[in-house]
Amino acid sequence: MEALIELLRSLPGASGMSDQTAFIAAAASMATIMFMVMALCAIVFTWMERKVAGFIQNRYGPMRTGRWHGVAQAIADMLKILSKEDIIPAEADKGLFIFGPILVLLGSLLAWAAIPWGPNFIAADFDLGLFYIFAVSSMVILGLLMSGWASNNKWALYGAARGAAQMISYEIPLALATIPVVMYVGSLNTTDIVVAQQGGIWNWFVFRNPFLFIAFFLYFIASIAETNRGPFDMPETESELVAGYHTEYTGMRFAFFFLSEYANLFLVALIASMVFLGGWWAPIPGLPNVPWLTFVIKGILMVFLNMWVRWTLPRVRVDQLMHLCWKVMIPLSLLCVIGSGIWMMLSGQAGV
Amino acid sequence: MVRYFTNIFDAVSSAIVGMGITIKHIWTKPVTLQFPDERQVLPDRFRGFVHNDTDKCDACNICAKNCPVDCIYIETEGKGKDRYMTRYAIDFNKCIWCSLCTENCHTGSITMSHDYDHAVYLRDSLVYEFMDPRKHIVPCHRQTRIQEGFWVEPKEEKPKRAAKPAEDKPAEDKPVEPEGESK
Repeated sequence: MEALIELLRSLPGASGMSDQTAFIAAAASMATIMFMVMALCAIVFTWMERKVAGFIQNRYGPMRTGRWHGVAQAIADMLKILSKEDIIPAEADKGLFIFGPILVLLGSLLAWAAIPWGPNFIAADFDLGLFYIFAVSSMVILGLLMSGWASNNKWALYGAARGAAQMISYEIPLALATIPVVMYVGSLNTTDIVVAQQGGIWNWFVFRNPFLFIAFFLYFIASIAETNRGPFDMPETESELVAGYHTEYTGMRFAFFFLSEYANLFLVALIASMVFLGGWWAPIPGLPNVPWLTFVIKGILMVFLNMWVRWTLPRVRVDQLMHLCWKVMIPLSLLCVIGSGIWMMLSGQAGV
Repeated sequence: MVRYFTNIFDAVSSAIVGMGITIKHIWTKPVTLQFPDERQVLPDRFRGFVHNDTDKCDACNICAKNCPVDCIYIETEGKGKDRYMTRYAIDFNKCIWCSLCTENCHTGSITMSHDYDHAVYLRDSLVYEFMDPRKHIVPCHRQTRIQEGFWVEPKEEKPKRAAKPAEDKPAEDKPVEPEGESK
């Protein structure tokens, strides 16, 4: 962020900018860049999802749009969605109907502020990084409930209620699984978390501790449930047989949900690679490394893992989902926290 | 209590086994044939659009009589040895592709081609006039289509996956030497 302020100041004619103007200009450009990254995510990952799904199912996926393997398919889909008529049901709660998707998008967009792409390459470097990300992602749940309620549609409400229950339940193992890492690092600052993993693949948090290894998989499963994907897509697909929380949405409003789903996917993949898989550090210390590229590649690998799980496992029923969260994942993640703490104490890394 | 842990273990291990199977499928060749660039190799006796080679046809009317839906229209002039055909038309709006017309033709002029993709815009275009040079019909047979400019050269013809040969069954059942399985 400071680097961006310096950059803006060095533009011809802008050296006399006051601090506040420079700050606002830098913040606005950061937000725009993050939004463009989100849109790019949606485009790249919808294509990747359709191709991966196709190849897993022994077929090709999109092949015709664009020259090579249907690369223009996502852009074609975006153009189609943008040209649709905007319908608001007559009995729907108009204000909430319009505001719901905005909250969903906002919840996805705000969390990108604390992701470290490189050593000095972060939008907002504050000491609350990781906590901020989890807190802000919870706005999506609000938006979801709002959209489901405002649709004036019974099944949309069912879908939204199930979705909200699922998302708030899985926030707990999601956050608990990252606590052992915070114990090691001693700080919630995301840059510090990544810096503490330098020195090669055995220093990555996923390999330091068998409890952390389990915590990584708990985080991964909880993140699939958080993004309403894969075997946990109760809110959007169970009711697909009837409706779903975004059934009454068309055009740009639907594009907001769509965009935020894929942006959330990439976000949790990046968080997993930042917290457990070493962020921007290369696996072998001596390798020439482009930090943000390594980070993005790790994120893409985690997204691929996510898609692989989605197209393998069947959908989980709502009561099985709740059982899994409250009776299996929360005890296991608490066990990981305690076990990791004991391990740290016994191996002398606690600093106590 | 023990069931709790065996449940977790079973869930994790079955998920991993499933994912192992799925990932192998990423590297198997997809079964899709990309029409129109790749076409299926059709069996020999495939019943496509009917084609009549009017040079060989002697207007005996057997095909018209055999047709269950009367879709073959034949008009002839002259009697006896001087009989010649003036109109031979097949109405593909009615044709049911039963191939009864081809079974009894004694000159072999009427055959079932291997064509299946003759979609047209007007219903009248589906009445194929084989003797009228003015009516531009979509010709059957690849050579004529290439000459007339109707052919898209398929990039690769993938043979259909060969069905498993059912040789073991007859060999077990009958001690009599079975004749070779026809393709």
